[in-house]
Amino acid sequence: MPAALPLVLLIEDEPHMRRFVTATLRAHDYHVVEAGTARDGLAQAAGRNPDLILLDLGLPDADGLEVTRAIRRSATTPIIVLSARGREHDKVSALDLGADDYLIKPFGVPELLARMRVALRRAAVPAGAPPQSCFELGGLRVDLVRRQVVRAGQEIHLTRTEYKLLATLVRHAGQVVTHRQLLHEVWGANYVEHTHYLRVYMAQLRHKLEDDPTRPRMLATEPGVGYRLRDEPS
Amino acid sequence: MAEEPYPELAYLKAAGIVALTTAVCLPMRPYLQVTDVAMLYLLAVVAVASWYGRGAAVLTSAASIAAFDFVFIPPYYTFNVHNAAYFLTFGVMLAVALLMSRLTDQVRSQAEEAREREQRMAALYAMDRELADVQGRDEQVALATRHLARAAEGSAVVALVGDGEAADGGANWPAHDLFDAIDVRLAAEWAYGKGEPAGMGTTHCSEAEALVVPLRASTRRLGVVVVRPEQADGAIDPARRRTVEALADQAAAALERAHWAERHEQARLEVEAERLRTAILSSLSHDLRTPLGSIEGAASSLLHDAETLPDEVRRDLAETILEESRRMTRLVANLLDMVRVETGGLAVRKDWQPLEEALGVALLRLEDRLKAHAVDVRLPGDLPLVPIDELLVEQVFINLLENAAKHTRPGSNVTVSAWQDGPAVVVEVADNGQGVPKGAEEIVFQKFQRAQGADHSTGAGLGLTICRGIVAAHGGRIWVEPREGGGAAFRFTLPLDGPPPAALPSDLSES
Repeated sequence: MPAALPLVLLIEDEPHMRRFVTATLRAHDYHVVEAGTARDGLAQAAGRNPDLILLDLGLPDADGLEVTRAIRRSATTPIIVLSARGREHDKVSALDLGADDYLIKPFGVPELLARMRVALRRAAVPAGAPPQSCFELGGLRVDLVRRQVVRAGQEIHLTRTEYKLLATLVRHAGQVVTHRQLLHEVWGANYVEHTHYLRVYMAQLRHKLEDDPTRPRMLATEPGVGYRLRDEPS
Repeated sequence: MAEEPYPELAYLKAAGIVALTTAVCLPMRPYLQVTDVAMLYLLAVVAVASWYGRGAAVLTSAASIAAFDFVFIPPYYTFNVHNAAYFLTFGVMLAVALLMSRLTDQVRSQAEEAREREQRMAALYAMDRELADVQGRDEQVALATRHLARAAEGSAVVALVGDGEAADGGANWPAHDLFDAIDVRLAAEWAYGKGEPAGMGTTHCSEAEALVVPLRASTRRLGVVVVRPEQADGAIDPARRRTVEALADQAAAALERAHWAERHEQARLEVEAERLRTAILSSLSHDLRTPLGSIEGAASSLLHDAETLPDEVRRDLAETILEESRRMTRLVANLLDMVRVETGGLAVRKDWQPLEEALGVALLRLEDRLKAHAVDVRLPGDLPLVPIDELLVEQVFINLLENAAKHTRPGSNVTVSAWQDGPAVVVEVADNGQGVPKGAEEIVFQKFQRAQGADHSTGAGLGLTICRGIVAAHGGRIWVEPREGGGAAFRFTLPLDGPPPAALPSDLSES
């Protein structure tokens, strides 16, 4: 086994789900270890030092949120949460506790692989390294150093708040950012409940940056959770 | 009966009238017959009898006889009577006085009674009207208490006895200061047990400082009403007591009605739940089995004939599996939503937000299925933020757009528009398909209703029911109208209620 293969820890109690994910990941050149319980998962997370963790929130022996918290106490390993539809609140809690992304079951293979790529890429940037200064997708180019936003060759003028919001999303490009995180970073700790600020500015940003603001291609809504700036064409 | 408040005054006035009559007649004595004078005195007696009641009338007739005799019967200024015929006159005057006063008393008491009855009816009517507007036992009790207190001009309490409580001493009377006195509690036990009023102004426990009236419904006693007039002089006048009793009877009837209505509603919900279970079962057995069959078939041929199948067939089979499982996922999600809507388990987390976002999510999610349709979005730039649960309203959009895609030909138009209408935002999803048949505008929102000619592959017929449940949970309304030029226009309202969002902080332009 070449050492270069990334190691994925899959913590999931459903054997069929484990079988499907493991087979898929192996076919895409990942090395996979499995855990069927939270206990086993935590032990493997500490012992095997995986590059990425796929964590099911509905484990039989412990709350997935507890597992997230426990892992985050000692490691920054990217965590992608797998959850059932309709448990939006759990997902948001897991993300706010430090999980990196989430997938709703049932999910497709391309989706899973895309999320994993983003998480691994972000984890590969060494801590303390200067953040990526430039983002480009489609006709959009955001230069964080020159504070410049260009769309289809035209410079776009953003308000201070709009720019701050966009810059935050750029720093987390490809990754979901919860409402709470965005409100915290753009407006401050006292405004984390003022979700409508965020939504109003997001609508403004879309009107300035998207071809069709009712069908956003770049500034994607993650319903009930937050937003995601896509870094791959959808 | 309203007696003259100051009887002395009435006597004084009566005496005055006799004096006046005498004074008027005296100068005319030479010209008048004695019988004429007697008539005038009689007039005075009649007048007093009708104005001031029996006592004054008797006094007037006595005084009139005396004055008549003294002044007008010769020999003048003595009480001597020479002609015995005058005694007849005296007798007639006295008899007329008594008769008249009795008649007027009767008329007066009848008027009194009528007025009291009218007041009682007014009180009953007022309570009845208000009772019709309130829902729930607690509100009804509060309302009845208020009316009873007003009728008694004092304090009142309606004490209901629970179904399980025994009548003989087992009832838990409420912690109300009216129940502090032991004799009131005894009166309450008695009234509840016997179904008769007790306490103040009755024959049982009359020393109690309150009147206790049982709440008599047609089949059982619900409890008691206790009233205590403000001026507790140890009595409650009979008129007030009758009003209190009438109000108590009426309150009992209303409470009983509400009780049965509640039971009826409960039974209806149970039947409805049973119907839902049956429908879900039949839907599960058919709508889930069909895709499962395709999945199983496709998967097994992929597994067993892997080597012999051409690539494109393999691909086809895999696609079938994917499509069918997606369909199942949607169906299961719909069923779960349905159950949540039906059982009231829909948790609505409202947040002020632009409608555009929820619509955008729905449009993107349905992109594949709406590929063949032109979806036109018309949201005015000044549309206000709406207080909605994004996940739920998104589901409404998904269901309505999915329906539009299902029931129209490829290439047709779907228009989504919204506008503010007073205290709500109205949203419309309109297509130019067949439209909803006349008379089916309500039916389409019912569970498991599929469009005519639609087969099971189009869905379980739950989409619109879920929409209605979600819109109702937002305090809105959903309906369908025919669209001008053909097609259906589904409209729903989203009320702009609740505390308005905090104003946005000022934002400087980034140059």
